[in-house]
Amino acid sequence: MIAILLRRLGLGAVTLFFVSLLVFGTTQALPGDAAQAILGKEATPARLAALRERLHLDEPVWQQYGKWLANMARGDLGRSLATEEPVSQLIAGRVGNSGFLVALSALIAIPLSLALGVISAARRDQAIDHALTTGALVLAALPEFVIGIALILVFATNLVHLLPAVTLLAEGVPIWRQIDQAILPAVTLDLAVIPYMSRIMRASMIEVLESDYVQMARLKGLSPRRVILRHALPNALVPFVQVTALQLAWLAGGVVVVEFVFRYPGIGAALVDGVANRDLPVVQALTLMVGGIYVLLNMVADMATILLTPRLRTALR
Amino acid sequence: MRIDNCGILSLRALHGRTITRRGVLLGAAGAASAALLPMTARAQTVKTGGRLIVGCAGGGAKDKLDAHSPVSNPDIARGFALYEPLAKRNANYEFEMILAEEISPNPTADLWTLRLKQGIVFHNGKAMTADDAIFSIQRIIDPKNPKAGAAGLSDIDAAGFKKLDDRTFSIRLKQPFATFDVQLGEYANGIVPVDYDPQKPVGTGPFKFVSFTPGDRSVFAAHKQYWRSGQPYVDELVIVDFPDDTARINALLSGQIHAIDNVPFAQGRILEATPGVKALVANTGAWLPFTMRVDQAPFDDVRVRQAMRLLVDRKQMVEQALSGQGTIANDLYSPFDPAYAKGLPQRHQDLDRAKSLLKAAGHENLEVELVTSSVAAGVVEAAQVLVEQARGAGVKINLRKVDSGVFYGDNYLKWAFAQDFWFTRDYLPQVSACALPGSPYNETHWDDAEFQKLIAEARKTLDKERRAAILQDAQLLEYEKGGYIIWGFRNQIDAYSGKVAGFQPSRTGTPLGNYGFGAVHFV
Repeated sequence: MIAILLRRLGLGAVTLFFVSLLVFGTTQALPGDAAQAILGKEATPARLAALRERLHLDEPVWQQYGKWLANMARGDLGRSLATEEPVSQLIAGRVGNSGFLVALSALIAIPLSLALGVISAARRDQAIDHALTTGALVLAALPEFVIGIALILVFATNLVHLLPAVTLLAEGVPIWRQIDQAILPAVTLDLAVIPYMSRIMRASMIEVLESDYVQMARLKGLSPRRVILRHALPNALVPFVQVTALQLAWLAGGVVVVEFVFRYPGIGAALVDGVANRDLPVVQALTLMVGGIYVLLNMVADMATILLTPRLRTALR
Repeated sequence: MRIDNCGILSLRALHGRTITRRGVLLGAAGAASAALLPMTARAQTVKTGGRLIVGCAGGGAKDKLDAHSPVSNPDIARGFALYEPLAKRNANYEFEMILAEEISPNPTADLWTLRLKQGIVFHNGKAMTADDAIFSIQRIIDPKNPKAGAAGLSDIDAAGFKKLDDRTFSIRLKQPFATFDVQLGEYANGIVPVDYDPQKPVGTGPFKFVSFTPGDRSVFAAHKQYWRSGQPYVDELVIVDFPDDTARINALLSGQIHAIDNVPFAQGRILEATPGVKALVANTGAWLPFTMRVDQAPFDDVRVRQAMRLLVDRKQMVEQALSGQGTIANDLYSPFDPAYAKGLPQRHQDLDRAKSLLKAAGHENLEVELVTSSVAAGVVEAAQVLVEQARGAGVKINLRKVDSGVFYGDNYLKWAFAQDFWFTRDYLPQVSACALPGSPYNETHWDDAEFQKLIAEARKTLDKERRAAILQDAQLLEYEKGGYIIWGFRNQIDAYSGKVAGFQPSRTGTPLGNYGFGAVHFV
């Protein structure tokens, strides 16, 4: 088990190294450089030259990458080209905000989609199943920003003024104390991921409920509740866990559209801004972080799968 | 146009209730006291205090606080809160002395003497002196790190600053410049103290710095010793970045913020009709031209340029690209300059003449590429309208849309046929910026010897009438041979909540009444 973990971590690190090379290469291939992006229309040749010198953009490309890699190895994420402040300072707040939003969304989405999937499967082809299926398909068809704007119209601007339309976090106050600002964004994200997760749970559950051992358990006279929760559910969880991991990684990547609609200060908007500014240290730091989260979550999902599947557990020994 | 608060209060006492004797007496007392109160006491009835939250379009990690190099739109707003130039064009487009008492030239317009007002205090309590003014201007034109205003002030002789006394100093110019005072009055030329540190900014503006997070917001507190007595009325000002238009408008509609700038044209009417929200619409001289390079085929033939200008149905373009929020233009800029050539006949669409001009130039059925980008509201829409209108004369325009990073990248100022956006300026500063070979933004590569002679002559001419006559001739040249298609002047639309008042529409085109936060108060 430990050996597998270590090997996966090693492979993950190699993946991230290649990601960093790719990000560096593509950012260099983009037209314009950071100095031009920062000055925009105000760029005169004199100001461009002065800024390039200050940001070390006149050094050869491989030298810039080498310096960045060496710093990275020491844990120094470098300085943003746009603000000239340390990257860690710039993104720390945003990473916290995005993390909180993902945690809040996941806290609602995972139990809810699990329950909805199980109910749908247990009451298959009945009224409630049809209702849940239609609801899930409609939500899956709608883009996230449409869901977000609809929620704003209902809860913030047109129908009632119950919740804030945009996120204006007060400084110094931790985000969990201003949780009302994160409710609408979290609900939007939930409405975006619950359809997929609940449908997977439903499909997997249906398959398990038709298996022999479940029939056996029913014939033995066990209550339907015990059959579902004790015997069927653990075996139906594996696909659900895989999809959950993927959805969480998608959420952690910063859902840019939702961040724009709600002005939520997360890493999605920071990444888009970084690319627009050709701000390489920021883009690298955020991309590697998101890549790292993908690697980790996939690893956790695989580990969970092994733990949930006795056959694989014994094969390990 | 000042609303008499006392008068309105007494009216409110009567509305919504049946007319009782008490009500009538109260109303009469209110009206009587309004008549008796002197002007200064009436000013005191403006409610003071409160925290004004303003949402500005754009912004991001590259936000700056530096007085002399605003980059993003919120930077400009911050600049108006913190700093002030020596003089500037106000909301009515009148040239107003701000920190200076007098700016006067010598007879040859190459030596200017400036005297500062007395009693102006910086945010840190220090009194403003001539040393600070000299330092600020030198900082702007520093050749090792030139700021935004440097290009317009290139006539200053770097060794030509002379302090005459604590409040007075003179600047020698390398060549005569009759409207140097107007050139100094740009918003990015604020006066800062000699020990200015952009990380802890200090200025003379109505608000002083408290905190700043790039890409998020900046917080300011009222400057108690601000020179305009009574102002600012609010205690605190927060400027919040809003890159997304929808989020910005939603924030105003849900009551989270009090004012927003740069409302998209199509939404102006919707906001006007929303209860609790007021729209601020200003007619400005801001222009969104099409730019044709006069030194590259096919636009190097003046007949082709004239034909292109005749393609445009200007009224339709204003209707479509600006949702009607603008006025038509006549291929000339600076409409509020006293020397504006309003006598020249208004151009209209004339497809037949355009076709015959193109045929004479040997470019029948012309096909060109137009580079566009959403650098400002209305730009891409105008391009799309032009493509349609050009078809009528057999001209095929291939639209190439790029993102603003690419547009302002290596090819900026090299595109053969593209667009741009400009705010309202006087004629000579605008010419310095775009119509001379050494101009920083000469998109059309216009290099006309006769034009330059006229401009040089006008710059030396202190007499306003004579200068206007010379500039009329210069404008005639641009009208006939220039590379710009200037189809309209856009309105500036902003919006604010009914809870605040004091915003005035500004003809300069700078949003929210020249970002006049000092005059804003809660009601």
